[in-house]
Amino acid sequence: MLNQNANSRWDVIVIGAGVVGCAIVRRLCLGGAKVLLLERGADILSGASKANSAILHTGFDAPPGSVELNCIQAGYKEYLDIHKRLNLPLLQTGALVVAWDQEQLSTLDEIVEKAHQNGVDDVAQIGKSELHAREPNLAEHALGAARVPGELVIDPWSSPLAYLTQAKLEGAEYRFNAEVNGGEFDGNSWQLSTTQGHFNAKLAINCTGNQGDIVERICAEPQFKIRPRKGQFLVYDKSAANLISSIILPVPTKITKGVVLTKTIFGNLLLGPTAEEQEDRNEAPVTTEKLEELIVIGTKMLPALSAHGVTATYAGLRPATEHKDYQIHAQPEKNWIGVNGIRSTGLTAALGIATYVENLLREKFTNSLALSDTKANKTSWPKMPMLAQHETRTHQSGDGTEMICHCESVTRGEIERALESDIPARSLGGLRRRTRVMMGRCNGFYCSAKVAKITRGRLEVPLSTGETT
Amino acid sequence: MSELVCDVAIVGAGPAGIAAATALKDAGVQNVMILEREPEAGGIPRHIHHPTFGLLVFHRPMSGPKFIARILSKCRNVQFEFNASVMEIKPEGILNIATPEGGKIVKAKHIVLATGARERPRHPRLISGLRPQGIMTTGALQKFIYGETLCPFKRPVIVGTELASFSALSTLKSGGAKAVAMIEENPRITAYRPAMCFAAIMGTPIHYNSRIVDIGGMNQVEYVRVKDKNGTRQIDCDGVIFSGGFVGETALSINSHLEHHPVSHLPLVDQNWVSSDPQISIIGNCVHPADMGDQCYMEGLEAGKHIANLIKNPRATTNQDLFHISHDSRIKMLTPSAVRIKDDDTGELTIHLHVRVPFWGKILIRQADQVLYSKTHRCLPARRITLKNVPISSHPRLNTESHFSPKIEIILGTA
Ligand SMILES: Cc1cc2nc3c(=O)[nH]c(=O)nc-3n(C[C@H](O)[C@H](O)[C@H](O)COP(=O)(O)OP(=O)(O)OC[C@H]3O[C@@H](n4cnc5c(N)ncnc54)[C@H](O)[C@@H]3O)c2cc1C
Ligand SMILES: Cc1cc2nc3c(=O)[nH]c(=O)nc-3n(C[C@H](O)[C@H](O)[C@H](O)COP(=O)(O)OP(=O)(O)OC[C@H]3O[C@@H](n4cnc5c(N)ncnc54)[C@H](O)[C@@H]3O)c2cc1C
Repeated sequence: MLNQNANSRWDVIVIGAGVVGCAIVRRLCLGGAKVLLLERGADILSGASKANSAILHTGFDAPPGSVELNCIQAGYKEYLDIHKRLNLPLLQTGALVVAWDQEQLSTLDEIVEKAHQNGVDDVAQIGKSELHAREPNLAEHALGAARVPGELVIDPWSSPLAYLTQAKLEGAEYRFNAEVNGGEFDGNSWQLSTTQGHFNAKLAINCTGNQGDIVERICAEPQFKIRPRKGQFLVYDKSAANLISSIILPVPTKITKGVVLTKTIFGNLLLGPTAEEQEDRNEAPVTTEKLEELIVIGTKMLPALSAHGVTATYAGLRPATEHKDYQIHAQPEKNWIGVNGIRSTGLTAALGIATYVENLLREKFTNSLALSDTKANKTSWPKMPMLAQHETRTHQSGDGTEMICHCESVTRGEIERALESDIPARSLGGLRRRTRVMMGRCNGFYCSAKVAKITRGRLEVPLSTGETT
Repeated sequence: MSELVCDVAIVGAGPAGIAAATALKDAGVQNVMILEREPEAGGIPRHIHHPTFGLLVFHRPMSGPKFIARILSKCRNVQFEFNASVMEIKPEGILNIATPEGGKIVKAKHIVLATGARERPRHPRLISGLRPQGIMTTGALQKFIYGETLCPFKRPVIVGTELASFSALSTLKSGGAKAVAMIEENPRITAYRPAMCFAAIMGTPIHYNSRIVDIGGMNQVEYVRVKDKNGTRQIDCDGVIFSGGFVGETALSINSHLEHHPVSHLPLVDQNWVSSDPQISIIGNCVHPADMGDQCYMEGLEAGKHIANLIKNPRATTNQDLFHISHDSRIKMLTPSAVRIKDDDTGELTIHLHVRVPFWGKILIRQADQVLYSKTHRCLPARRITLKNVPISSHPRLNTESHFSPKIEIILGTA
């Protein structure tokens, strides 16, 4: 077996490069640890984190007293603190939890009360006329709402990429296409076996999302079972984005936050998600039937939607468990932390989860790992490429290169830089998430051939089988 | 921000835009500028190497690139701005453009939108399945094979049986690939029947009454599942081509002050291709997705002449005079989609339309209770249907003030 990796160069191995893994790697690097990130996909965000609603939540509706609430609020705050330094965007939309019938209307009180209990003090109820003044395109049967000014929209892909990029500048290493499939703890350190050989570190942290309980078994029998819950979405054309100004949230039920209407940071309008339990942990296909149902639900809320085109459809898999709260368990005697069941708020909570994990390490793992003071102020802050529609994009200032993707206004220079960046794109998905190329309404009609040419020999799965014969 | 000034700014250097520029110059208009976001002129025909162009304009079939070379040779003293993406159109002849040097403003007396058409791709069709690589449209395939000499896959399936679908078959052959199946929802092909022979010669079976219900594969496409009345079958393949289902490239107009037709959602244009903004004309396949390139060229010539006239003798055309022609959703689109009737106008219209579903029966055009046109037509989707000699006049409008509606309505009668 390949064993050149087996010397203990690393203090910590983080397994899984979802948003949670990326945030944890960053936090530990800032604390002076030597960290290796192992990811089975060809890029970061190969799991749940590649497909979500991209809302930065306040925690107004999270279970009071939960670890989840704690992490959401810490994550929210840290994002606001650091986003400018990383050149990450923020769209200040606020949200409205809209009541569509009398029964829902009667629960708005409770929603406001719970929000206040959770420390989100600016949540307040608004009546029908104010609601329709704020959102004139909502259907007539919107009866009232709880207004949550703090809910925001962010870039779901650049954020975790920024966390890992900063970590890399602090010395973090990563391996893609490295699936952890076993491991042994010798009392001092872990030897993890992967599809790319063995890696040793003092500690291991499991952040494998929908594989969480399987990977957890490397250490011990898990106290939870992953129950993947699929969420399908429709992305509407940019022409639809101005139909709403706030995020439109439904009154939540027990199983899901329900169907949301929100702007995306890229200037589209997003409708979804569904909540569908499934066995499969890897594949999240969209289905015509559910997409059509979503359109019905969406146009009931926002009738003008029917005049606008659909740009994209996608589905994400929430790593849910039978428990309500996150499943973050430290096992100091085995140098292992499991960070699991980060179901539907992980994008927001990631930075907070990272601090939570750091605190666990500082409290319970002093024998195995000594973290230094956080060097958040001394570190370098990578400037991420700006992809938000409401900010200045590259094509507006011009980078001397021609536009390749017309729907999303992506220049050749932006594509080249994403292929050469600190954490370069090696897959089409990675390139799309870093640049927006081929993400627009034409689904690649105009630019996919050019992208195939530019990326020739530079992606693991090429866009072409070769020259024409 | 730097500023470019011209008499007429044309957006798009496809057949329609090139034609409008040619006619404008021939009519003596001074500064005609074409803004094209690609590095070269030609639009869609650049990447179509089979001889489906030229019959109408030059009376002989020729390839797309040949056709473009021929029409460009007639288009002289026009300023071409390449790599110039028009990002926004505004009232009063103003355009925001993006260039490699950054944003610029263009000011023109008149603007022509000639941004063309594309195909309806996978996502808006709400097709079930995963998102592996190898899912595209015919247009994208043509850009791969003819534009970049790259082949995206070896044995894809083609969804649809329009002309573009058979174009995909032939493009694949040029690229050294072969379609394993064509999938058609209806009991017959959408293109003219002889195209079936072509599929037979290529050795590609056509599956009728079939729908694609799943796309599988983690990295590259591995299979599709197809449903017909006998059940669901898996077809192994490494790509999926969604062909036809043309939509106008109307991103500019939709996000602008221009008015759109309530059924087709395409920008309104009157009988002279003028939009709801009298300073903006719209021509080519962006207002009628999609007719043949030759037809777009001929239309561009006509529109160019009209614009030259407008520039020489600017008439006060106001929005009030524009009435959209209403129809139900069995009609996909029509041009003109609106009519400008001035008090002294009478004339005859030629209306082109496309249907979404086959229709055989009487087509009726009414204005108030007056029948303007009534004739039996046999209409199939993806064909241009022409209604000739439709008389229009402003008279009914003068008759009464109270309950007269100037609305013109096209009614598809029962067969
Ligand atoms: C439909 C939907 C909507 C959502 N909306 C929001 C929202 O608006 N706001 C918000 O804050 N959150 C939202 N979320 C939640 C958020 O996306 C998740 O909580 C978050 O992505 C979970 O991140 P993770 O890192 O725990 O898991 P993942 O992102 O799944 O990361 C796990 C990683 O581990 C890798 N991996 C798995 N097994 C192995 C192995 N054996 N070896 C190596 N690597 C492995 C995977 O490839 C993957 O990259 C939403 C989620 C969904 C599905
Ligand atoms: C896949 C496909 C196959 C076809 N096959 C045939 C065929 O075989 N024979 C045939 O006769 N017709 C065919 N057509 C129809 C085709 O649309 C016409 O032949 C013809 O190209 C229409 O001319 P046009 O000028 O309207 O548009 P286009 O030829 O599409 O030209 C539009 C131009 O506008 C430019 N543009 C668009 N937006 C902007 C912007 N914002 N800023 C600057 N520039 C912009 C584009 O880059 C393009 O160059 C096909 C169409 C498609 C999509």
